[in-house]
Amino acid sequence: MSDSEKKKSLTPKSDRKAPTDMDAFFQWQTNRRSLLKAAIIAGTLSQFSFLQSCDDAIEIEKGNDLLDSNQMTILKSALNILFPDDGNGPSIELLNTLNYILWVLKDSGANPTHQTYLIEGIDWADEIAIEKSGKKYSELDQAERERAIHYYTETEYGKEWCSIMMTLILESLLLDPIYGANINEAGWKWLDHTPGFPQPDESNRYENVLTTARNAYPKSSV
Amino acid sequence: MKYDVCIVGSGAGAGPVIYELANAGFKVLVLEKGPWLKTEHFSKDDMTATRRNIYAPALKDEFHVLETKDSEGNWNAVPTHESKRDFWNGSVVGGSSNFMSAYFHRLKPKDFRLQSEYGDIENANITDWPISYDELEPYYAKVESVVGVSGVVVPHKNLEPRSTPDYPFPPLVVNKIADWFVEAGAKKNYNIIPAARGIISVPKGDRRACYLSNYCGSFGCSSDGKGSARAALINDALKTGNVEIRPDSKVFHLETNEKNEIIKAHYYDLVGRKNSVEATLFVVAAQAIETARLLLLSKNPSCPNGLANNSGNVGKNLIFSAVATGSGLIEFNDFSAEKIAEINNPMTFVNRTLLDFYEIDEPESGKKIKGGTIDFLIEHSNPMPKAVRAKKDGERLVYGSEFKKNLLNYFTQKKRIRYEAFTDWIPNNDCFVTLSEEHKDKWGDPVAKVRLGYHDANKIPGEFLSDISKGVFEELGAKNISGGISTGPTVNLQAGGCRFGNDPKNSVLDKNCKSHEVSNLYITDGSFMPTGGSVPFTFTIYANAFRVADKIVERLKKA
Repeated sequence: MSDSEKKKSLTPKSDRKAPTDMDAFFQWQTNRRSLLKAAIIAGTLSQFSFLQSCDDAIEIEKGNDLLDSNQMTILKSALNILFPDDGNGPSIELLNTLNYILWVLKDSGANPTHQTYLIEGIDWADEIAIEKSGKKYSELDQAERERAIHYYTETEYGKEWCSIMMTLILESLLLDPIYGANINEAGWKWLDHTPGFPQPDESNRYENVLTTARNAYPKSSV
Repeated sequence: MKYDVCIVGSGAGAGPVIYELANAGFKVLVLEKGPWLKTEHFSKDDMTATRRNIYAPALKDEFHVLETKDSEGNWNAVPTHESKRDFWNGSVVGGSSNFMSAYFHRLKPKDFRLQSEYGDIENANITDWPISYDELEPYYAKVESVVGVSGVVVPHKNLEPRSTPDYPFPPLVVNKIADWFVEAGAKKNYNIIPAARGIISVPKGDRRACYLSNYCGSFGCSSDGKGSARAALINDALKTGNVEIRPDSKVFHLETNEKNEIIKAHYYDLVGRKNSVEATLFVVAAQAIETARLLLLSKNPSCPNGLANNSGNVGKNLIFSAVATGSGLIEFNDFSAEKIAEINNPMTFVNRTLLDFYEIDEPESGKKIKGGTIDFLIEHSNPMPKAVRAKKDGERLVYGSEFKKNLLNYFTQKKRIRYEAFTDWIPNNDCFVTLSEEHKDKWGDPVAKVRLGYHDANKIPGEFLSDISKGVFEELGAKNISGGISTGPTVNLQAGGCRFGNDPKNSVLDKNCKSHEVSNLYITDGSFMPTGGSVPFTFTIYANAFRVADKIVERLKKA
């Protein structure tokens, strides 16, 4: 069984086809969410090595064990259409947005609804592409992909999916570089933004600061 | 060990009590639900402060059930872990005062006798306070010097009487746009004046002055310039050796004896173990909703409806601040390069306010009604809220090169100015706290269920002040002006729920904020307020807590 077949075997057959109306869609979404959410909460997604594709044609981002190569292709393409490298400001590549999003998908403090929505949206986008054009998203040329993204933003579900990606792009553009994006403060420099001082250090980044504070309690308070 | 006083909570309502009791030589134990972050743990990190909001509990662990009315008049109760409508402020030592913007306006004398001055409002529970402005005035002055308030007093028609001629700390440096507001106001015959802030402009003791980081509201202060309860009061109180802080300690029950006196506070520690402490007096200051919840959770044989609740008043008449907000854009292309050079810098402090309309004429009847306060601001510096706004054009999602162009233009070619107008939230029978019958927190205790009823009479002053503000913006030359009233509650401005008053039948606390029913219980957060005035509450909560602290010290000394 191939990796992609293994992954599909996790998903009930009734879930594999993109729904045609909103009611059916929400049911589809709920079923898929349950599976993914359970996996994320249990912390087991990272153990599903079969979620990775061995397709040599597409490079998997280092350390990624959440998305297969087809999903990565769709995500990368969507990010570059939503925030294109058009000579105005830093690119997705320069900001390290993709790796930032892969980190967010595993971050226990991130919005779990957004995490599952983002992943499910990738599969949804692919199925819509197949339904509308007869081709997988990855088989579309650039112009077709741009039309597909535009189409998605005109649907309720697709707009929310793209909106979540836009928010994460903005985080990669504007949050402190300590979180792995906004490389060399490229986003701040582009927008002529003056950051606040002090900026966070490793001990004060959001995952660590409460532990840092608790380690500093006086003995009488423990 | 039996402490003299056990205090539940450590925010603005607790800080003055901790400070005064410790300095008077009494042994104080503070039980704070949240962690203890020191100054060095705060940074200007949007991820920590606003994206992940780690200064508040995770909603999966602790949440509220909020009841709002739908268009057909039905009340719908939804837990906040489902709605994602986070109703927490700051659960850390120092409470939400760590994250306040610190606009410090005093109440006016008429705020203490709203019913007498303006009469009753149908379906509202307006009442006078049992104390007057004159009784609180010395404590406003004390807050100004001890916590530290910066500003300059200028004459205006609603200036309250003062025992001191001016604020003890000089005004903070502001963006030059402050003058634009004053000039625009003057053209409309409005007297726009400097606003006082609970932020020190010169060093005080161990506290450094504000260093104008421009990341203020929602962020902890890295110089201790902001007058949080932690920086301004608790740190000094700790030096006496009379204060013990127990962070990560969630009080869930106050146990009483046969005389209906509290003998123990029971709490969970960080890992969920149950503990208890004994004290002579107990002070609850957990912010209005959680204070009411703790009393309702503390059912004892002598008070089966909850502590201090035999009158049935606990949780009733919860109030917020009724606000109107709006914004406009200063488009750089509309002004000369010289003018834009004046204001195009990272400085976001404006500190200008309009108090001309603290009392207004009701448009239809012409009778005097309460108006409110307008503060003028520049959009906060932290970039994420600014940027997220740019991705929507009405219902349309903006993306691609169009979005990038808009974003660059927004950050570099314009400045968003804002107004916040504060009016009285009219207390009513549909705004109260009870315990949820179905939802429990991570410890298994019922969460607070909050009905958020809004009185339509709030709209009149809100709309009036919003129109005034928009007029100033137009005069100033702003574009895309929008705004209006909000019928939703201000999450960060909560009060009421345990009113003080002279009649035990319709109040929970006496005029000194001691429970009518439980002789060793005081409540010193905003819960005591029967009406909130047309200003943010923090300054008044601080002042009243200093006042009550004096009463407690007096009592303990006699004992």
